[in-house]
Amino acid sequence: MKGLLLKDLYIAKSNILVIIGSLIVLGFGLSVLIEASALLVLAPPCATTAVFISITSDANSKWNKNVITMPVSRSQIIGEKFILFIILSVLGIMAALIPCGVLAIFGAEMSLASLLLYGSIGVSAALFAGCFSLPCAYFFDPDKSQIVFLMSFLASTGIIVALVLLINLFIPVKGNILLPFNIVLIIAAIFFFISHKIAVMAYQEKDIT
Amino acid sequence: MNNALTISELTKTYKDFVLDKVSFSVPEGSIVGLIGENGAGKSTTINAALGLIQKDAGYISIMGKEELDNDTKEQIGVVFDGSNYPEILSPKRLNRVMKNIYHSWDEHTYMSLLQKFSLPADKQISQFSKGMKMKLAISVALSHNSKLLILDEATSGLDPVIRDDILDMLLDFVQDEEHSILVSSHITSDLEKIADYIVFIHEGQVVFFKPKDELTEQYGIIKCGAAQFDALDKSDIIVYRKMDYEWQILVSDREEMQRKYPKAMVVPATIDEIMLLYVKGER
Repeated sequence: MKGLLLKDLYIAKSNILVIIGSLIVLGFGLSVLIEASALLVLAPPCATTAVFISITSDANSKWNKNVITMPVSRSQIIGEKFILFIILSVLGIMAALIPCGVLAIFGAEMSLASLLLYGSIGVSAALFAGCFSLPCAYFFDPDKSQIVFLMSFLASTGIIVALVLLINLFIPVKGNILLPFNIVLIIAAIFFFISHKIAVMAYQEKDIT
Repeated sequence: MNNALTISELTKTYKDFVLDKVSFSVPEGSIVGLIGENGAGKSTTINAALGLIQKDAGYISIMGKEELDNDTKEQIGVVFDGSNYPEILSPKRLNRVMKNIYHSWDEHTYMSLLQKFSLPADKQISQFSKGMKMKLAISVALSHNSKLLILDEATSGLDPVIRDDILDMLLDFVQDEEHSILVSSHITSDLEKIADYIVFIHEGQVVFFKPKDELTEQYGIIKCGAAQFDALDKSDIIVYRKMDYEWQILVSDREEMQRKYPKAMVVPATIDEIMLLYVKGER
């Protein structure tokens, strides 16, 4: 699996660097208008776009066919993309934390609660988007999966709002805002895990031509 | 003699095509050529052998194992039409990737092959010609101690000089009697040069699986007119084809036929001609 990850990091390297650079610049730029920690909402979904660049590259070069003949299992092939997705989400968070940290040193107001809140919203959005779009990337053609990829971010926003409203019925969100979003994050992680299992199961039987 | 690959009664059904009980084997130390027109079932057979597609029925064994596990995959080198490697990578980066995929990856062999084929290690694969990409794919296939090479239309679209280089390399590979090759191609002249056995697939079925020498040294074509054709013993005819000015009849023993029909013109048959007669001829 290490080889597969290395291959994807080579493919997405320039894209990852551009996204990380943009997030850092955006963080400093936005700090004039809003709290820089709000960037944590955007960072994970933006950073994970590189996964789809690697999936598209695999499809274009017919790597998907070649890799099946190599000593890696189908579950490792799928699992690697899910792991890459998580690594990129974490990289996105870290990139967004750089301007936050620098601005905090220079006296900008920033609370740990807001960092955790925006961070959990960002990671939840990325995980929900990934749990729809990653399996689809292996079962639809590249054009359709790009549409699914774009739609999945809209869907993930909708799901987060719906979940928060649902949680609000049991735990009042006002005055206790961090807990509902942490619950959403846990649900997103569970969905992401289930999505991985479903993708692995479906891919085992798929004919690759 | 052990078989590197055994395929028995392999069946795969699609909406518009059936691979029907395909059986043949690749003995260790030999080159087996898989021939047939486009859409005959060559790639479907190879894809099933490599576990790319699920078979409906039949038995496939590679290196004596029915299950295609990672240890077995380590010993199989595969070359498809095109390089099938991410074009953004360079051969040097591909080396690092492969080193982390194959336990038996031999960096020294890989770098030597790159040098032998004059492939630039730092140039992106996207800038390679088709011939260079093919040589790169073969270099990868030969750099993890493969015992079985499987090439699916690997020489199609290449110029004769590069094809000849590749054929020489394949011949070198089977000098070690533990090594074997299954090569599918519709360039039958290439297979005539290197193959020990020929498997001919037509409309999803194996028409024949024979030693190449038997085909080229024993098979023949009787070229005659209508009267002579009518006089032939029909049990001698494998297939026949009526051309504009003559009849062409494929026979399995040309010397015997020459003795039996001394006035007939019996000529040796190339694999191309045998394939054409089977596909376009009548029985």
